[in-house]
Amino acid sequence: MASIGQTASLPHALPTRSRAGSGAWVTAREAFWIALEALRAHKLRSFLTLLGVVIATTTLIVVMSLINGMNFYIADHIANLGANVFIVHLHPWAQGYEAWLKAERRNKPIRIEEFEYLRDNLKNYRNIGAEAETQTINTSARYQNHSVYFLDIVGVTPNMIDIGAQKVESGRYITESDYQHESMVCFIGQDLVTEFFPNVDPLDKEVMVNGIPFRVAGVAEKIGSTFGESQDNFVHIPLTTYRKFFSARPSLLVNVQAWDAEQMMVLEDQTRALLRARRHVPYREDDTFAIDASDTLMELWHSITGAVFGVTIGIVAVFMVVGGIVIMNIMLASVTERTHEIGIRKSLGARRRDILMQFVIESSVMAGMGGGLGVLLSLMVSEIVNLIVGPGFFNSSIPLSAVLVGLILSASVGLFFGIYPASQAAKLDPIEALRTEN
Amino acid sequence: MPPDGVIIKAEDLWKTYDMGEAIQVHALSGVSFAIDRGEYDAIMGPSGSGKSTLMNLIGCLDTPTRGCYWLNGQLVSELSDDELAYIRNKEIGFVFQTFNLLSRASALHNVELPLIYSGMPAKERLEKAEEALRKVDLADRMHHKPNELSGGQRQRVAIARALVNNPSIILADEPTGNLDSATGEEIMGLFARLHEAGNTILLVTHEHDIAAHAHRIIHVRDGRIERDERIE
Repeated sequence: MASIGQTASLPHALPTRSRAGSGAWVTAREAFWIALEALRAHKLRSFLTLLGVVIATTTLIVVMSLINGMNFYIADHIANLGANVFIVHLHPWAQGYEAWLKAERRNKPIRIEEFEYLRDNLKNYRNIGAEAETQTINTSARYQNHSVYFLDIVGVTPNMIDIGAQKVESGRYITESDYQHESMVCFIGQDLVTEFFPNVDPLDKEVMVNGIPFRVAGVAEKIGSTFGESQDNFVHIPLTTYRKFFSARPSLLVNVQAWDAEQMMVLEDQTRALLRARRHVPYREDDTFAIDASDTLMELWHSITGAVFGVTIGIVAVFMVVGGIVIMNIMLASVTERTHEIGIRKSLGARRRDILMQFVIESSVMAGMGGGLGVLLSLMVSEIVNLIVGPGFFNSSIPLSAVLVGLILSASVGLFFGIYPASQAAKLDPIEALRTEN
Repeated sequence: MPPDGVIIKAEDLWKTYDMGEAIQVHALSGVSFAIDRGEYDAIMGPSGSGKSTLMNLIGCLDTPTRGCYWLNGQLVSELSDDELAYIRNKEIGFVFQTFNLLSRASALHNVELPLIYSGMPAKERLEKAEEALRKVDLADRMHHKPNELSGGQRQRVAIARALVNNPSIILADEPTGNLDSATGEEIMGLFARLHEAGNTILLVTHEHDIAAHAHRIIHVRDGRIERDERIE
């Protein structure tokens, strides 16, 4: 029997926190299941809470997949131009209507003498060729009683087969001999084969091109279509023959092929300098011609997708913030509802960080679920887009990075916006909390 | 730790609340006492006597404004919130009048809770929780939720929870307040068995009938100890 006033036995120091590590992990797992349980218990409320995050995630993933799909498409089809090739011609590509008007007004076509000048004065190029194109409005080709319209009639130098996208499937391309002799031969694209020669060998047959007879010397491999336009609807004839029958002084597209990308830039600069000098273009004035390469198109494409992506990021950010604020408010209400429960947990030994972690994990898991729902939704949207737009045009393929970004971003939003409510919960006084009625 | 030692020593405990404008309310005014390991004591007093405040201090839910409190040889009166939480987890087993169980969790999960906060891995936790429920004769109901249990059963779950971490003292605040007299007697019987098994039990009550089950009654009135009565 003790009496009041007896001194205490040996005091001992507080033991070290061995519970810090495993305790935290256990609390995290418990919080995870509590979060799932809370979501299941109030499905409609949870869904409405997460709507912002769901929409943001879906938008992000869908846009990223569309851009991803388009990038593949563009790379596949626009790369037609050939590596390390640039074109000197009258109208700049893809610069808009104003630029086209300006070119119409002040640019001068590349003439055959200028082509020959460049051929003779540029150094170390791999290849240089020229093409002349007709307007496709008035073109037609006829064989027996079949006709093809709106085809490209192109006058070429023989080396265009090494520079351009066409490949020989059977027969041969235009030769140096054809070029010298202004021969009436042509190299036809697959669309003409399909229309005129489905079951016979096209070689050596006579085709009327705009009423002029040409003998088929060679057939091209199929290329395909770009944005719905067939790339196989053409005949190539010698440039010299072209000048004889179609246009005496055609506007040329000079194709210069470099050995590598670096040299291509050098050659572009040299070409610009040579042509400006020959045309006596004053120092301050713009070029009177255009130089384009496949990278021009890619640049344009990247700037478009960049702009689209930028806007998307803006939209996604807005939805995420709004969604986050909604989550924060719901969590605050949840903390208030569960004040009594928090008091019980604290009385049993939950520290501030246990309570904090519990609620932060709950809001992260909730938001992460919203992200997961967004991923599922975006899968559905992707499928619908593919069905509507059709295979062969493009496939919006969902990159794994988009899914990961979506999930991580949602969970982070939940974590960030859950910190304030969680800290309010952690700060509760256990005695007051226990007194609160449920 | 000596087997028969002083488990609680309170020295001149004061709890003062500032009500603003230099007005102070003293809930406790210089309370001192000691409790040995293995005692079965009751703290009795009318409402407003300060017994709840004293219970909060003994249970490490709060710290005194002045004075010293040693629990199991440890000076706990000046610990931080986190350190107090640790002490509560290891040394105190609470039993409340309103049971204070988590309503959406099973009996087993409720009993596990202190072990979760002490960082025990799952397998060990479940074993200990089951064992605690067996001690209070509720092993067959461990997967039931509180709303599937009677009042007496709920209190027994709460007692199992209080026991599960092997605390220094079991602190029961009006444990039979929400139970009918028959069930109340059952619970008091359980406390008696727990005391015989070696636990230190501290009841806080305003009812003399309940306090009479203990072997010592500390009477509290107006924030002071009025009388310290031994009964056998």
